[in-house]
Amino acid sequence: MRNNQKKNLWSFNFSTMALVLIPVSIGINYVGKLFAQTLRLPLWLDSIGTILAGILAGPWIGAISGGINNVIYGLTISPVSFAYGITSVAIGITAGVMARMGFVKNMKRAVIMGVVIAVVSTIVSTPINIIFWGGQTGNIWGDALFGILRSANWPVWLASGLDELAVDLPDKIATTIIAYIIYKGLPKRITVLFEES
Amino acid sequence: MRSLSLYVKRNSLIHKIDPFTKIIYVFVSVISPFIMPTLIFSASLTLINLMLLLLAKVVKRVIPIISFVFIIILTIFVIQGMFYGANQTKLFTIFNLSFYVEGILYAAKISIRAINVLLAFSLLILTTPPAEMIESLVRRGMPAKLGYIMHSVLQIIPMMSSNASIIMDAQRARGMETEGSLWVRIKAFIPLIGPLVMSSLVNTHERSIALEVRGFSAATKKTFLHQEEVPGGMKQLRIFLLLFLAAVLVWRLTL
Repeated sequence: MRNNQKKNLWSFNFSTMALVLIPVSIGINYVGKLFAQTLRLPLWLDSIGTILAGILAGPWIGAISGGINNVIYGLTISPVSFAYGITSVAIGITAGVMARMGFVKNMKRAVIMGVVIAVVSTIVSTPINIIFWGGQTGNIWGDALFGILRSANWPVWLASGLDELAVDLPDKIATTIIAYIIYKGLPKRITVLFEES
Repeated sequence: MRSLSLYVKRNSLIHKIDPFTKIIYVFVSVISPFIMPTLIFSASLTLINLMLLLLAKVVKRVIPIISFVFIIILTIFVIQGMFYGANQTKLFTIFNLSFYVEGILYAAKISIRAINVLLAFSLLILTTPPAEMIESLVRRGMPAKLGYIMHSVLQIIPMMSSNASIIMDAQRARGMETEGSLWVRIKAFIPLIGPLVMSSLVNTHERSIALEVRGFSAATKKTFLHQEEVPGGMKQLRIFLLLFLAAVLVWRLTL
């Protein structure tokens, strides 16, 4: 009886733990961006929390973290981020699935995970960029590339995709590596609280 | 507790309208120009939004939101003006760079549409406290747990950013360099974010226990602390907005 109750309590706690992780992961996204700006790093680093949530609590929690992250950003900082909510959801799902497939075992695999996340993010963002901005991303280097490719008559979707990838690849690899280093540094007594059975 | 929000307190007609009606308005105003992508239609919706913002006495607060996308709009005009696929009619030439009418018109179309999206959302965000918006959505079927998560994000972000500056000061006091070459600055990132993530995750455990003892996961029906005030005529306004959207859809399909 006592054993049974304990088990129940644990599974009870688990779902609340996972839900409470979501606001924290969104806070980590925000602070990651804040630190990147303070240190004048040439990257956004604004999805560390989403990826970490995916690694810790699985694809669904990662997806919800990403989605709510952009809704809150849209409501409080910049309405444009609503449109990119789908991208954040995709990042959270990818991180969660790949973590379960064993891509957070070592640094080499974490880098591969970063590349995959960058590619997924690019595939999801590009149609949004085309619908919303005619294919540009707002990043000077990426848009310069977009201009060059368009002047050479490359199709819009390819030029826009490469524009996005040029920005996303370094950013998402760095973000994933940071999330991986943080994850590896967490004590087991914390990570075990979020793990699925 | 300080909360994250762009809400501006004013006494205006727009402020009195209930959040749900405003959410429907934003949805209709944002979606319509994408269904019916003509320059004049987008421009008139933008004008309507601008007038409503004027009515709500919050136009000044829109400027920082718009300036956020000013540079990208400028580059859209440059890039599309020169390289848009259907470019034919030359408009003018500077430094051997030719700009075309078709590209400029296309750039104007997407820019106006983007500004329209921003203005419509600004109208909602600047005149509605986020807490009321979330509550209004929970009343209409959004899960209460999702409502809790969104509420707590609004409170956790100011809390974590103040913790962030404390950690920054502490690490600097211990001799960590945050200025200098790119590599020095990259190296500073993990010592800054690591402690913050750690302390926040430890807090989540405590918070989840605190929530559980207050019946967070209890299966009973939750009630609301405040009563919702909906001014008269809002139901008709909502129906009108949805009919407008339907009309745009029909207009597009028959054209």
